[in-house]
Amino acid sequence: MNKTFKRMLKQSEFYVFLIIIVFALIIEAKSGLFFTNNNLVDRLRSMIVPSIYALCALLAFVSTGPDVSFPLIGALSSYLAIVITEGLGLAGAPWIVSFLIGTFFGCLMGALNGFIIVKYRFPSLIVTLGTSSIFNGILLGAFEAGRMYLPENLENFARTPLLTVKNAETGLGSTLPMTFLIMVFLYIVAYFVLNKTMVGRGVYAVGGDEVSAERAGFNVKAIRFGVFVVNGGLAAIGGLCYAVQAIRYLPTEYEGAEMEVIAAVILGGTRMTGGVGTLKGCLLGTLLLTMVTNSLIMLGIPIEWQKVFIGAIIIIGTAVSAIQSHAGAKVKTRLKKEAA
Amino acid sequence: MSNKKIKIDSNIVRLLIILLVFIVLACVTKPSQFIKIANFQTMAKALSEYGLMAVGVGICMISGGIDLSTVYIANLCGILSGLYLQGGGNNAVAVLIALVVGAACGAFNGFLVSYLKIPAMLATLGSYQLFQGIAIVISGGSTVSGIPASFTSFATTALFSYIPLSFVVFVLVCAAMTFVMSKTKFGTRMYLVGTNEKAARFAGIRCNKILIQTYLLSGLISGIAGLLSLARLNSAKADFGSSYTMQCILIAVLGGVNPNGGFGTIPGIAIAVLILQMMSSYLNMFPGVSNYYRNLIWGVALIGVLIMNFILDKRRTQKLSKTS
Amino acid sequence: MESENILCVKGIKKSFGGVHALKGVDLTIKRGETHCLAGENGCGKSTIIKVISGFYKPDAGSIEVDGKGYPVMTPAEAIKAGIQVIYQDFSVFPNLSVIENLAFNQVLANKKKFVNKKEFRRIAEEAVKKINFDVDLDARVETLPVADKQLIAISRALLDNAKLIIMDEPTTALTKKEVNRLFEIIADLKKSGVTILFVSHKLDEVFEISDSITILRNGENVISCPTSEMTEEKFAYYMTGRHFDTQVEKKTNPDQIGDVVLEAKNLSAPGFENVSFQLRKGEILGVTGQLGSGRTELSLALFGMLKPTGGQILVDGREVKIGSVTAAQKLGIALVPEDRLTEGLFLPQSIMRNNVVSVLDRLANKLGFLSSRKVEEESEKWVKELGVATKDHMLPVQTLSGGNQQKVVLARWLASEPKVLILNGPTVGVDIGAKYDIHNLLRQLAAQGMAILVVSDDTAEVIATCDRAIVMQAGRVTGNLSEKDLNADTLAQAAL
Repeated sequence: MNKTFKRMLKQSEFYVFLIIIVFALIIEAKSGLFFTNNNLVDRLRSMIVPSIYALCALLAFVSTGPDVSFPLIGALSSYLAIVITEGLGLAGAPWIVSFLIGTFFGCLMGALNGFIIVKYRFPSLIVTLGTSSIFNGILLGAFEAGRMYLPENLENFARTPLLTVKNAETGLGSTLPMTFLIMVFLYIVAYFVLNKTMVGRGVYAVGGDEVSAERAGFNVKAIRFGVFVVNGGLAAIGGLCYAVQAIRYLPTEYEGAEMEVIAAVILGGTRMTGGVGTLKGCLLGTLLLTMVTNSLIMLGIPIEWQKVFIGAIIIIGTAVSAIQSHAGAKVKTRLKKEAA
Repeated sequence: MSNKKIKIDSNIVRLLIILLVFIVLACVTKPSQFIKIANFQTMAKALSEYGLMAVGVGICMISGGIDLSTVYIANLCGILSGLYLQGGGNNAVAVLIALVVGAACGAFNGFLVSYLKIPAMLATLGSYQLFQGIAIVISGGSTVSGIPASFTSFATTALFSYIPLSFVVFVLVCAAMTFVMSKTKFGTRMYLVGTNEKAARFAGIRCNKILIQTYLLSGLISGIAGLLSLARLNSAKADFGSSYTMQCILIAVLGGVNPNGGFGTIPGIAIAVLILQMMSSYLNMFPGVSNYYRNLIWGVALIGVLIMNFILDKRRTQKLSKTS
Repeated sequence: MESENILCVKGIKKSFGGVHALKGVDLTIKRGETHCLAGENGCGKSTIIKVISGFYKPDAGSIEVDGKGYPVMTPAEAIKAGIQVIYQDFSVFPNLSVIENLAFNQVLANKKKFVNKKEFRRIAEEAVKKINFDVDLDARVETLPVADKQLIAISRALLDNAKLIIMDEPTTALTKKEVNRLFEIIADLKKSGVTILFVSHKLDEVFEISDSITILRNGENVISCPTSEMTEEKFAYYMTGRHFDTQVEKKTNPDQIGDVVLEAKNLSAPGFENVSFQLRKGEILGVTGQLGSGRTELSLALFGMLKPTGGQILVDGREVKIGSVTAAQKLGIALVPEDRLTEGLFLPQSIMRNNVVSVLDRLANKLGFLSSRKVEEESEKWVKELGVATKDHMLPVQTLSGGNQQKVVLARWLASEPKVLILNGPTVGVDIGAKYDIHNLLRQLAAQGMAILVVSDDTAEVIATCDRAIVMQAGRVTGNLSEKDLNADTLAQAAL
């Protein structure tokens, strides 16, 4: 057996992958509708926004700790992007202009998170809960945001499909929106930054051992701050993608996404205590969770059971990873003894 | 010891001052609306439910964790009791159902946190989905209503015809928990487990037992909150009060609970509940101000209080290191 | 022209919030030598290292490296000047590969922005070659044994053309075998012209490895001389400020030794095998051995924190199963743990709470209610009895010095009136005065009839306090020394 294969067996990503296959086969056996072109496109479509948010969760967990503010940063910055696009008469400009406006505001909000977390060293969960509440208050209180139609440029972008399929047997059609490309682009960039640049390695180094990172010459504070700024920007893109896919801006639909995304990322092998987590794991975890939330119906399980399943998956997934890390500690002491 | 009194008081005094300043501000700017018995009664009723949950969240934070599931435990308990009452059940049994279910949910959280060693935040994040999911399944996703008047009259009755009974329940629970936290070995052990779990094990404290009991208590108190809201609203729903989770954490931190565990008092939490309710009722007196502004103010307050505590703590440790 | 001294610091002063950590320290290290910096805990060793490596800015004094003066030393300048520190925790990234751990420093120092895998591997290979270190470069560091982490740190330090390598207590976490390997590497480094500053407080190591010695005490220089001019007695005297013979206390009066209280018969658990001993009333038994010898595991097994896999434990002649700390407590067994800061104390909590934590059951009534008065009285009693130096027992325990903190941990267990008191490293990180107090206290307790087990790697401590000792190595008992055989030579022999 070769080395790569052995290493693969040790990764939780591999097991998530296996579960996904098994789950898909069960659905296929039960309903015969899983491996149909429209279902596969639907699965991809439902993954887009969660997997962009998953990048936020990954970066935060690896470098610092949980970030729960991304849905509301997404909501508020996409609101600002839409309003400003309309207000400045940019509705005729390319869609990317609106995305850039949103990203700018997202980064600003992320910078607020980063500043408080880095400067005072508060738990990131509590800080991002607080800022979420602030962003929510600004969005719904100060701006009194309501449902909105999208500006023309985003509307056009939303109505241009990347791919449309139609199932010959069932007559059901599905489209894959252009936002899919945005997601793919972000993952490629993230892959490059996290693996091929020193800043990206710094994100892992800081999460692995803060003091060692400082001594090695990483700028710990700048890296953490940067992660939260980037998270803000990513959240904004995720939020706009959500609006584009819905072809409406729905301000109250954003809240609550954080929990599932965090669950997905943890399932994908990201370590809660920092330093470990891969993009592959993010995607697989998100795929598994969106499959569970969207495919229960195909198994004949009523939709009401959805939350029960999600809850159970989070608990089982985190329990397995918690038990694994304990087992890991035991292996370490054993190794120490063997060396003696 | 005199020193101890000064130390405990400083946090409470700080909170009382904030409360007082707020009352004065409200009385001066909105005298006609604020200084009314009905207003105080409404406030007292409204705060009891999330106030109780905040006590639950607070003790879990003191024990070194957090409980994000309190709201959903309350809803689940409310739904189960509500369904039972709908079918013409006995009030006492309905109460018992809520308390037992609450305690069971809490113990489940405690099991996840202690024996399985899942970080409390993730464990209760998962269990909250689970409890909410169970509530949805049981209630079919709809509102449970049609509760007999004999039960809901609890919410409309007042002690000495002025003090709402639900507020009396809140005060009693706070008093009991204050006693438990400061005057029992269980409370002392909870603080110690929250400070350093490893050292607690070496000191002969059965940490798993303490943690399970802590989360069980939190669940039990949430069950009581569920009953109060069932009586007040005459209904229960699986996703009722989802914004309370954030609010409870805010209250606990505002009340002086250290998010890293080991420190915090129940009276502090109780006063923080009062402050929050005052603020929120006061805001309601401005029709032009949207309800959603509350979220903004609470978020700012949470981070503001964290920063304030940080600065005050720093000063205190500096002083301590100088004197020693 | 190369200067004769690689490092010359003079008159370094540094204080923290009114505490003078360094009161004018001089340190001169000759090129190519292995210099030992010794001193008790809290003498200023780690502070001076941080000053030399640029992490602390001294309040006064001068630093000269290789003949060049540095008015302000920064961490980056220190590295550039060829100074590398190997910290006690090795400063590795457990979550990353060996390659990255080795390459990061250099890549960052060169201000490279991108990751070049080939370059990384080349750097890593170059690093491990310097000390012929055989390791899987792709392995995650957290899966490696401690010794390998240290070798990573050493080979990484060598990459930067280190002229002076400072090793801060490098042997603390190593087994005897690993220490020997480390010493071989140090000898090789010396041959290749690298200067080493070896920071330690362990007598035998200092004599084995160093060419010259500087000893600090309370932030001041006590002596600097070639190792050849130093004797063991002198060394102990300079370290502690007291003559060694004053430390040898009276041995136990044979009349006070009573029946066997605690006995282990062929006891095994993860970490040790087949350990047997008898501990009698009024007696102090030492358990000594290197890290990894199983001494800590033995103490944990006797205290119900580690499940035995075989053998028996007998208390008062009856076989018992000790499944939990609570069970150990009920049998009258108490343990003062090895790491005071993480295992012993609740640092930010009051001295009072720390004092009474293990006797809450006794102080509470049947319903579990505590009486504040009883709690305060109990705590005050122990503060007085053990002479804990504090103004108020309501202050957090972290305001106390190491010795006083250790007294608090002791107080907690003495309060539970144990029959058997196990102390794991009773005076680690404790200043000399408090150490003396604690040793005397142990004697007194034994005289009162307590059975005491002192687990320690400090040979001097074992000789000074124990009536008998067992020596462990690699999980087995390799020596059983009675009072008359108990001395430094026999201990060293048994540990080999």
